[in-house]
Amino acid sequence: MNDNHLKERENILSEANKARWDLGIDLHDTVIESIYEDASRIARKTVKQKGEKAAYALDLRIDKIVTSRWLGFPIMFLLLALVFWLTVTGANYPSGLLASFLIDYMHPILKGAAASIHMPWWLDGVLIDGAYLAMAWVIAVMLPPMAIFFPLFTLLEDLGYLPRVAFNMDSLFRKAGAHGKQALTMSMGFGCNAAGVIAARVIDSPRERLIAIITNNFSLCNGRWPTQILIASIFIGGLVPAQLASVVSAGAVVGIAVLGIFFSLVVSWGLSKSVLRGEASAFSLELPPYRPPRIWQTLYTSLIDRTIIVLWRAVIFAVPAGIVIWLVANVHIGELSLAEYFIQWSNPFAFVFGLNGVILLAYIIAIPANEIVIPTILMLTVLITGASGVGAGTGVIFELNSVGDTANILHAGGWTLLTGLNLMLFSLLHNPCSTTIYTIFKETRSVKWTVVSTFLPIVLGFMVCFFTTQIWYLFFV
Amino acid sequence: MSNSNNCDNCPVHNKENLIKLGLNMEQVDYVITMAGNPNTGKSTVFNNLTGLHQHTGNWPGKTVSRAEGGFIYNEKRYKVVDLPGTYSLLSTSTDEEVARNFILFGQPDVTVIVVDATRLERNLNLALQILEITDRAVLCLNLMDEAKRNNIEIDERALSKELGIPVIPASARRKEGMKELLAAIEEVAAGKYVCKPHKIKSRSIKLNNAISSLASKLAEQFPNLPNLNWVALRLLEGDNSIIEAVQSGELGSINAGDSTVQL
Amino acid sequence: MITLLTVGIQSGILFFFGVVVVLIIFWIFWPKKGLIALFSKIKMNNQRVQLEDALKYLFDCEYNKNLCNMNSIAGNLNISDDSASQLIERLLVLGLVTMDDNTISLTDTGRSYSLRVIRVHRIWERYLADETSVAQADWHNEADRIEHFVTQEDTEKLAAQMGNPVFDPHGDPIPSIDGELPEPKGKLLSNLKKGVTGRIIHIEDEPRSIYEQLVVEGLYPGMQVYVTDVDKGKTTFIANGDECTLTPLFASQITVELLSGTVPLAPKYELLSSLAIGEKAEIAGISPNCRGQQRRRLMDLGVVAGSLVSAEMKSASGDPIGYRVMGATIGIRKTQADLIFVHKKNDTNE
Repeated sequence: MNDNHLKERENILSEANKARWDLGIDLHDTVIESIYEDASRIARKTVKQKGEKAAYALDLRIDKIVTSRWLGFPIMFLLLALVFWLTVTGANYPSGLLASFLIDYMHPILKGAAASIHMPWWLDGVLIDGAYLAMAWVIAVMLPPMAIFFPLFTLLEDLGYLPRVAFNMDSLFRKAGAHGKQALTMSMGFGCNAAGVIAARVIDSPRERLIAIITNNFSLCNGRWPTQILIASIFIGGLVPAQLASVVSAGAVVGIAVLGIFFSLVVSWGLSKSVLRGEASAFSLELPPYRPPRIWQTLYTSLIDRTIIVLWRAVIFAVPAGIVIWLVANVHIGELSLAEYFIQWSNPFAFVFGLNGVILLAYIIAIPANEIVIPTILMLTVLITGASGVGAGTGVIFELNSVGDTANILHAGGWTLLTGLNLMLFSLLHNPCSTTIYTIFKETRSVKWTVVSTFLPIVLGFMVCFFTTQIWYLFFV
Repeated sequence: MSNSNNCDNCPVHNKENLIKLGLNMEQVDYVITMAGNPNTGKSTVFNNLTGLHQHTGNWPGKTVSRAEGGFIYNEKRYKVVDLPGTYSLLSTSTDEEVARNFILFGQPDVTVIVVDATRLERNLNLALQILEITDRAVLCLNLMDEAKRNNIEIDERALSKELGIPVIPASARRKEGMKELLAAIEEVAAGKYVCKPHKIKSRSIKLNNAISSLASKLAEQFPNLPNLNWVALRLLEGDNSIIEAVQSGELGSINAGDSTVQL
Repeated sequence: MITLLTVGIQSGILFFFGVVVVLIIFWIFWPKKGLIALFSKIKMNNQRVQLEDALKYLFDCEYNKNLCNMNSIAGNLNISDDSASQLIERLLVLGLVTMDDNTISLTDTGRSYSLRVIRVHRIWERYLADETSVAQADWHNEADRIEHFVTQEDTEKLAAQMGNPVFDPHGDPIPSIDGELPEPKGKLLSNLKKGVTGRIIHIEDEPRSIYEQLVVEGLYPGMQVYVTDVDKGKTTFIANGDECTLTPLFASQITVELLSGTVPLAPKYELLSSLAIGEKAEIAGISPNCRGQQRRRLMDLGVVAGSLVSAEMKSASGDPIGYRVMGATIGIRKTQADLIFVHKKNDTNE
C-alpha cells in the first residue's frame, strides 16, 4: 500500500518533468508575465490617477537638481563633508569628557579600591590596567563619533538621498567592477568598518557585495583618524614652519584617506577581474520617493541598530585584548618581558619595512580596536627605552595630552620621519580590526572571504611600506 | 470601513482592545504572517502591531532575517511573523524561499499582505502570488497618505471584490488604519470572513492543461490539499522543497481549514 | 660615506628582491595562466576525461542518428588514431560500447553512463550561465572541465538549488536523473523552406568559433525567425526586423521549432537604451542574454512585456539612467538597458 503511494508520487514527479520539456525554456517568464497581466487588469479597474502626481513631480524636480551634471557632485561632497565635520567637531568634547571620566577619574578610584581590598598586584593589573583600561579607551574614543555619525547618516538614508548618491557615483564604481552603492558602504566605513561591512547588505548583487565588503577596510575608520592626525602633526607638521604645520599635517591625513579611496577602487577592479570574476553580478538600484524622516525614531533605531551593536562587539573584543596587552608587558622571563623579547626579535624584520618591532607588536595585540594602537605603542616605547615619569606606570597603556611630549617619547624610541610616514601607511593598509573580521565572517558566512579580507590589506601594507622604505633609502640616504 | 484622518482610529485609543506584547509569544491563538515588497512600510505596520522597534528605512532590503512579535487583540493572543521583503515568491533566492515555504508549510492563520498604494500594480504581482498559495489573507493598502498627495484614487471595494479578500487602507507611519486592520485580521482568523482569493486567469492553454493534469493526479494522493493548482505549477517550475514534500508525502499533512500551527 | 654607500647598495638589492617576490606571487596566483591554474589544467588531462568525452560524443551521434567510427572519435576528441583505438579498446573492455564492422555504438550501460555525464555537463552550463558571470563563450569549456571531477551529489544539490532546470542555456534538454531525455524536436534552419516562420530552440555550441559568431549575430533560443529566401543553400531570414544570411554550415547549427498557422511577424523592437530623457515606450521583453538574478530582478521591478516605461533622468555622470516603471524609478545601467527590448510610443497620452 505504502509502496504504491510512493510509486504514484514518483510518477507525478516524472510527469511534471516531462511536461517541463514540453512547456519550453521560457516557462518561468510566461508564468510571471501572466501574473503581471492579471495585476495590470485589476489595477486598471481599481486605480485612478486624478490630475498631476503632485508629490512625484516635486521628487522629480529635486532629482533633476541632485543628479544634475553640474550640481550633483558638489551637493554630494558638501553634504558628506558636513556630516564628517559635524562628527569630528561634535565628538571632540564628549570624547574628552568620557576619557577624563573613565580614564583619569574612574581608573585611580578603581586602583584605590583594589588596593584597599588587598587585591594581588597581578590581578589588579590584569583587570584594571588591562581589561578595564582597554574597554574604557574603546568606549571613550569610539562612542561619541559613532553616536553622531550614524544618526546623521541614517537621516540621509531615510530621507532618500543616499540612493541618489549611489546613482551618481555608479559610473565610477562600475569602471572598478563595483556597485554604486559601494560609495555608501565606503562612506559608512569612514565611521566604522564593521558598520560599513554590515551596510553592504543593501548591495544585492553577490559579486559587488563581496567587493564592497573586502575593500571596506581601505576606508580610514574613525579609530584610525586620531593615529593619523597625531603622527602627521608630529612628523609631517614638524617639517614646515609652525604656522603652516596644522594645514600641512591635515593635508597629509586627507592625502592618506584619498589614497585609501584610490586603493579601494584599484583593489575592487583587481578583484572583479581576478578572484571574483566568476561570481554572479546583477545591478539594480531603486530610487525611492523622498520621505520626510522621523527624527526621533531614526535617532533611536540608529543608536540601537548600529552604534550600540558595533560598540558592544568592540568592547567584547577589547577586554581580552587589554588583558593580553598587560600580560605581554608585565610577564617576565628572566630579565625581559615578553614584549621586549618580541620587539628585539622582530626589529630587524620590521626595519626592512621601515617600521619597528614596537609597531608590529602593537598592531598584533591591539587587533580588537585601532583606537588602542597609539596608547599601546606609547606604553611599549616607554617600556623598551626605560623612560620614566610618563604614563600611569610600567606596562600600562596611556596617552599624553601634549603632542610635544608624545613626540619626545617617539623620538627617544628611534622614530624618524620615515617611521612616521610608514606608520601612517600601515595604519591605512593593515588587517581589519577583530570586530570587523568577525562581522565580515557573519555577513559572508565564508572562511575564505574572511581570510582574503583579512590578509589582502596587510600584504598590500607590507608591500607599500617596503617599497616606500627602500626607495627612500635609495634617494635620501 | 471609513478611512478617516482623526486619531480616534489610532490603536492608542483602543488600549482595552490591543495589548502589544513585544517578544512575548506564549500560547498563541493565531499565527499571522506579514509579507510585502521591500520599502512598503511593512516593518512599520509590524512595529505598530507588536510595539517592537524593527529598523525601518527608506531603502529596500532592510529586514534581513525573520522577525517575530506578539500582541493581544480582543482577548486573543496573536503571534506575528514578519517575512523578509520580497518582490516575488517565484524565484530561487533564499529570501523568497523562506517566505514561500513559511506561507505554505507554516500555515499561518492570516497572511497580511502590505502593499504600497502608490505602486499598486507592481505590488499586486506579489499579492496575487500569495493568494495562489493561501486563501486566508488581508491586504493592507499602506502609504495611503502618499497616494493622496499624488492624487491617486483607489476603489477599495472593487479591489476587495477582485482579490476576494478584505482590503484595508492605512498609513502606518501615522498609525492610521491599524484598528481596521486588526478587525479584519480577526475576522479572517476566526473564519467570520471567508476569502475567495483571486486565481490567475491569463495563463496559456498549454500551461493550464499541464497544470490541471498534474493537479488531478495530486488530488488522488493528497485529497485535502487546498491549493492543488499552485502545487502543480510549482512542480512545473521545479521547486525543490515542493518536490521533496511530494516525494516524502509531507504535503499531505497540509490540510484546508486546519488552524493549529506548531512552529 | 662608505656606510652610506653600503646602505644604498643594500636597499638596492632589497628593492630588487622585493620586486621579484611580488612578481612570483603574481605568477603563482594569476588566474587562468598562473602556476596554480596551470597545475590544475595538467591534472585534468587524464584517461577518465577522454573516456567520458568519448561517451558523450557517442551519445550525441546516437541522439542525432549519425553513425560513428574510430576516425570520427579521434577527430572529435582531437587525439591521434592510435590513442583513439586504445580508448575504444578500453571502452570495449568496460562493456560501455559495442563494435559492429567499423561502427561503434553504445551499450545500455554506456548510454546511461553518458547520460549521467551529459546531465552533469548541462546542469553546470546552466549554473555558469545563470548564477555566475562566466562569459557565454566559456560556459561549454568550463563545464567540460568541471564535469569530470564533481560528484553526482554536488551536482544534484546544485540542480535542486536552481529549481531543477530541464534545459541548458543553449536550449538543449537536460536528461533526468533516471536518464530520460525527450526526442529531438524541430528542424535545422538550413533545411527550412522559403516563407516558413519558426522559433529558435537550440544553437549548437560546438565548434566554438561558429557558435561565437552566431552569438555575435545576436541569435538566441526563443527568437522568432521568418525565412525569406533560400538560394544556393544559403538561408536568408528575418530575425527581429533585421535580415540575416547564413551559409549552410552556419545555418545547420541552429534548430528551429516550426510555428503553425499564420503567425504575425513580430515587429522590430528597439533597445531601452535608445530612449531619450522624457521618451516613453512599451516593454517588449528582456533578451535571453540577460539571465539569472539580473533577469529576475528586472522582472521583479516590473520590467515585463507590456508594461510602460519612460526615461526620467540621467545620473550626474551620465550612465545609469533613471527609468520609471510601474510607479517606481529605477536606475538601469546602459549595459542592461541594451538587453531590454521596447516599442517606442510616439504619442504622449497613455
